[in-house]
Amino acid sequence: MNDRRLLLFSLVRGLAAILLALAVATIFIFISSDEPLNALKYLLLGPVVSFKVSGNVFNTTSFLTILAAMIPTIFSGLAVCVMFSANQFNLGGEGAIMLGGFVGALLGIYLKLNTGLHQVVCVLAGALAGGLIMLIPAVLKVKLGASEMVTSLMMNYVVMFVILHFLNFVFADRSKGATQTFPFQETAKIPEIVANGTKLTWGFVIALIFVVIIALFMYRTKWGYAIRMIGINQSFAQYSGMQVGTVIILSQVIGGMLSGMGGSIEVLGRFNTFLWRELPGYGWLGITIAILAKNNPIFVPFAAFFIAYLNKGCDLMATYSDVPSEMIDIIQAAIFLFFAAEQFLAKYRQKIVVRNAQRDLALQESAASQGGKI
Amino acid sequence: MEQEVIVEQKENVEQEDFVVQMRGISKVYPNGIAANKDVDFLLRRGEIHAIMGENGAGKSTLMKILFGLEQPTSGEILINGQPVAITSPSKAISLGIGMVHQHFMLVPSLTVAENIVLGMAPTDKSRLLVDYKKAVQIAEENASRYNLRVDPNAKVMDIPVGMKQKVEILKALVRGAKILILDEPTAVLTTQETSELFKELIALKDQGFTIVFISHKLKEIKQITDRLTIMRSGRSMGVYNTADISENEISRLMVGRDVVLKVVKDKSQPTDTVLKVRDLEYTNRWNKKMLDKLSFSVRKGEILGIAGVEGNGQRELVEMLFNLNVPDAGTVTVDGESIINLSQDKIRDRGVSLVPEDRMTYGIADIASIEENVISDRFSTKRFNKGPLFDMRAIHNESKTLIVDYRILAKSHKQQVKMLSGGNIQKVVVARELSSKPTLLIVDQPTRGIDVGATEFIRNEIVELSRSGTAVLLVSADLNEVIELSDSLIVMYGGKIAAYFEDSSQLDDETMGEYMLGLKHQTEEEIAKVCYE
Amino acid sequence: MISDLLSSILNADFLYSVIRITAPILFAALGAVVAEKAGVTNIGLEGIMMISALFGVLFGYWTQSWFIGVVGAVVVGVLLALMIGFFAFKMKTDIVIGGIAVNMLGAGGTIFLLDMFTGMKGNTGSLVTRELLIPTVDIPLIKSIPFLGQVLSGHAVLTYLAFLLVWLIWVVLYKTPLGLNVRAVGENPNAATSIGVSVQKIKYIAIGISGALAGLGGAFMSMYYSQGWNSGMVAGRGFIALAATAMGRGEPVGTMLSSLLFGLAQALRTKVSGMQGVSSYLVSVIPYLVTIIGLVLYAISIKNKLKKRHPVAKGAE
Repeated sequence: MNDRRLLLFSLVRGLAAILLALAVATIFIFISSDEPLNALKYLLLGPVVSFKVSGNVFNTTSFLTILAAMIPTIFSGLAVCVMFSANQFNLGGEGAIMLGGFVGALLGIYLKLNTGLHQVVCVLAGALAGGLIMLIPAVLKVKLGASEMVTSLMMNYVVMFVILHFLNFVFADRSKGATQTFPFQETAKIPEIVANGTKLTWGFVIALIFVVIIALFMYRTKWGYAIRMIGINQSFAQYSGMQVGTVIILSQVIGGMLSGMGGSIEVLGRFNTFLWRELPGYGWLGITIAILAKNNPIFVPFAAFFIAYLNKGCDLMATYSDVPSEMIDIIQAAIFLFFAAEQFLAKYRQKIVVRNAQRDLALQESAASQGGKI
Repeated sequence: MEQEVIVEQKENVEQEDFVVQMRGISKVYPNGIAANKDVDFLLRRGEIHAIMGENGAGKSTLMKILFGLEQPTSGEILINGQPVAITSPSKAISLGIGMVHQHFMLVPSLTVAENIVLGMAPTDKSRLLVDYKKAVQIAEENASRYNLRVDPNAKVMDIPVGMKQKVEILKALVRGAKILILDEPTAVLTTQETSELFKELIALKDQGFTIVFISHKLKEIKQITDRLTIMRSGRSMGVYNTADISENEISRLMVGRDVVLKVVKDKSQPTDTVLKVRDLEYTNRWNKKMLDKLSFSVRKGEILGIAGVEGNGQRELVEMLFNLNVPDAGTVTVDGESIINLSQDKIRDRGVSLVPEDRMTYGIADIASIEENVISDRFSTKRFNKGPLFDMRAIHNESKTLIVDYRILAKSHKQQVKMLSGGNIQKVVVARELSSKPTLLIVDQPTRGIDVGATEFIRNEIVELSRSGTAVLLVSADLNEVIELSDSLIVMYGGKIAAYFEDSSQLDDETMGEYMLGLKHQTEEEIAKVCYE
Repeated sequence: MISDLLSSILNADFLYSVIRITAPILFAALGAVVAEKAGVTNIGLEGIMMISALFGVLFGYWTQSWFIGVVGAVVVGVLLALMIGFFAFKMKTDIVIGGIAVNMLGAGGTIFLLDMFTGMKGNTGSLVTRELLIPTVDIPLIKSIPFLGQVLSGHAVLTYLAFLLVWLIWVVLYKTPLGLNVRAVGENPNAATSIGVSVQKIKYIAIGISGALAGLGGAFMSMYYSQGWNSGMVAGRGFIALAATAMGRGEPVGTMLSSLLFGLAQALRTKVSGMQGVSSYLVSVIPYLVTIIGLVLYAISIKNKLKKRHPVAKGAE
């Protein structure tokens, strides 16, 4: 019961943080816009509501595009959940996503397979590539104690430039104006669930399946358990007999695989060729999502939806009003700062903890007087 | 003998000139533990005064209160007759009190001179830059005035421990300390460095400084102190002139139990040897020999206790038994196979379990649930896994059973461990370590800081486990525990075994004190009996 | 081809450009050095550079003075850094998360703010006129030295400041009371507290200084290097600075050397991108690879040093 109250407190505090972040955004909107209320309308309601003269209508198409936008970020969010759970500040998701997309794309262009098998092979290859690349910061951390944050940040750039090199000099389709590869074969593309142009592909279903898989992995398998325990207290994990080094590497490789998978699914689902010319940015979104989800895979889709919703809202606000779409970054930054602030509303948490402790002591005393029986 | 005379004269001629008076000091922590109980402490100007007691007696707490690091729950402090509230170390420093802690508060990459003037560094004409020459000058002047030889230009990370201590003392003196508190100063010093320190302290005393010396080392106290206060279980056992009290009397006052807590157990019937420690040696990185050809065995079905004041090698020994450290020489085998430098999972596979001294660092993952904590040594076994997934039913069964069996007071198996009281947290650790039915169980300070109910329960569990065949090694600084819980015990002193008693139930506190404080030492033959060869 | 490359590298113009390119990285890297010395990890340098760069241009345009612009950039940098500090020290937000938050602000918030203040989209276009740029100086005697003169003279004022700061920061850290306190707080906060030094105050000062330095780096970019602000202009220099500090072992001079290495790599890349047969992309990879290698070598050397002191149990690392 006490834990439930603490849980409630966490929820309320999270909501308060998000509201505060939105309040910050609102302030900015009021300062910068000539029509703040209109802007707010598009930000908060626009993603799912069509404002028609005849009345406001639920905009299904828009809603579906939001779901489609969640596909890469769910994978990225899951990846960060796994890595951060082991207390590894690996920021290499960006590079892994791009690499996964590129490898998947190449196999989609040059490999000849039947549909069904083709997509699976491409996506698995993307995942494998992502996992392998994460080995570098992971092994360097475990064997040499080198900061996984710096090495993973560097790897992002290395991966990006190597891909750009191959993109420009080896795999470029010279017949096109902008630099891009040859088109994917139809057998490699991941189809939409409903062919309506929303780009909501079966990748969404796969993403949700992986939410379940990773949730099970983190909370119902020995590897996930080890990852979490190591993240909480490495000394304890070591003393209990866990293979700390191996598990740390595993956590980052899994993070890389999820990122790579997300990248290949997104590229083969949304586009016809590979045309990313810089790091796509899903890695950073993944971090926001993981923070909102408190590293729990089950909450990732919700957090991803929230972020995708806000993103769409900012885009609409930019199109139909006069507030630039980059507001999303301001909102994200504010969420980061408030949501992750342990001391936020700490006084109230303290009250709950103290009340809990007093209750515990009372229970103990009564138990002791009954001869130690609960 | 000159000292004696001067002390007597002072007594006759002057009114009591107490530079520090602490009266009725009590310190009770929120968890109910009382570290100081109505303690009086009177410090005469210009004396070297020792505060003696075992670990946990309350001597460090009392001095932390004097130095403003802790606040008393009740009582008053007078400095030079004036009542004061010492709310912080800065306040203490301003009152002329300086403290040299057991763990040095120095900055390794800065030089000695820089460490000494830290926070009050002299500046040159421009008032922007540190006048390093002046700093060195200050260091040298004070060093020679107080006869504390240091190398002002050496980096603290390069100097030996003895010099580090002198730097700490100089730090205090340079800030105007007239009263110096030294917390277990000789714990990290070699014999050579110790005599040097004593010469310096006497010189300081001659210059009018007052020194408080926290220690449990009888011989040293006898060497340089004028008076001593003995503390036991948070109370003061009285203040005595050093010259008038014998080492045995000190020992008797220091080491003794107010209440003898008997543990009910039937006689042990030990069988085969399980743990064999032979000629274990270890010198720590400050060149102090912590383990000196240590040899003993533990047999199935018995509880062997290791008694002794902390700091005599017990911690290092336990570390080596669980691969938290590596010995320089010697062997450690369990059922004939070496466990030195073996990874912890392999050690556990050999049937060794450990209830660690530091439960928060090693024993538990605080924000994980009780269930998650209690399976941390067995989560990957077939019992709890069905294919790639956990067998949640088996895990829930296990954790619920353990919670009941070990009387863990909690809302549910899902509760976060850090929400539990100290006693219950320890029960979680005990539940895990004992339920694996180990061949060898090592328990290190198993009931420190926990309530009476939990203490009693845990001790009974240990006895039960032992009688069912487990070999138990009990390390405890708690006299009651180590005498009453053990079947046999050894006393460690200075990295060696000072005594072995096959039947600990007949031991009295006085004898224990003598061995624990180095007044007595058994013969090689008597000690060798603990090897059961 | 190699000889072509060599000859184009070993000329004065190229070396001049290396110095020019190094300057902003050096500013940020020095910021990281100061923060690290106090035990503070400021990974928000990238975001601070972006935002300060914008405000540098804005303040300069509003006051028509490049100097005020630079000062404005510095002030903004300090404020941002102090904000990270506030959330980290007081609100207990993980300081890495706080840094990432500022980076996010830097990425998109800048475009937003630019629009808000000027209505311009994504870059400052012609806002920055010649008079608003940071002036360059020809140093009287040096400019006459053959070869070296071309390399060393004629840089922007801020370029010289960057390298001067290497020495200045060293002096502050190793020769002033503040520096002593900063290093004490970074190595052993208990030691600092025990003599009445406020650990929090020192950390705020250190992170504030790192923000000021990153602000200078940002101002350099927008008010000289790129002659205006645009949204892609910092391009990871804030992260490269972190790597440079790591490779420079957190010391001013070492950091300067590794920053120069990065500047060299970047200058090479520009040089090479025009050439036939050499991929500018692959050349771009060099600085990042070099960092990783540098970190690895550094880690190995520390490991060896520790091993010599006392053997550590297997698996207990």
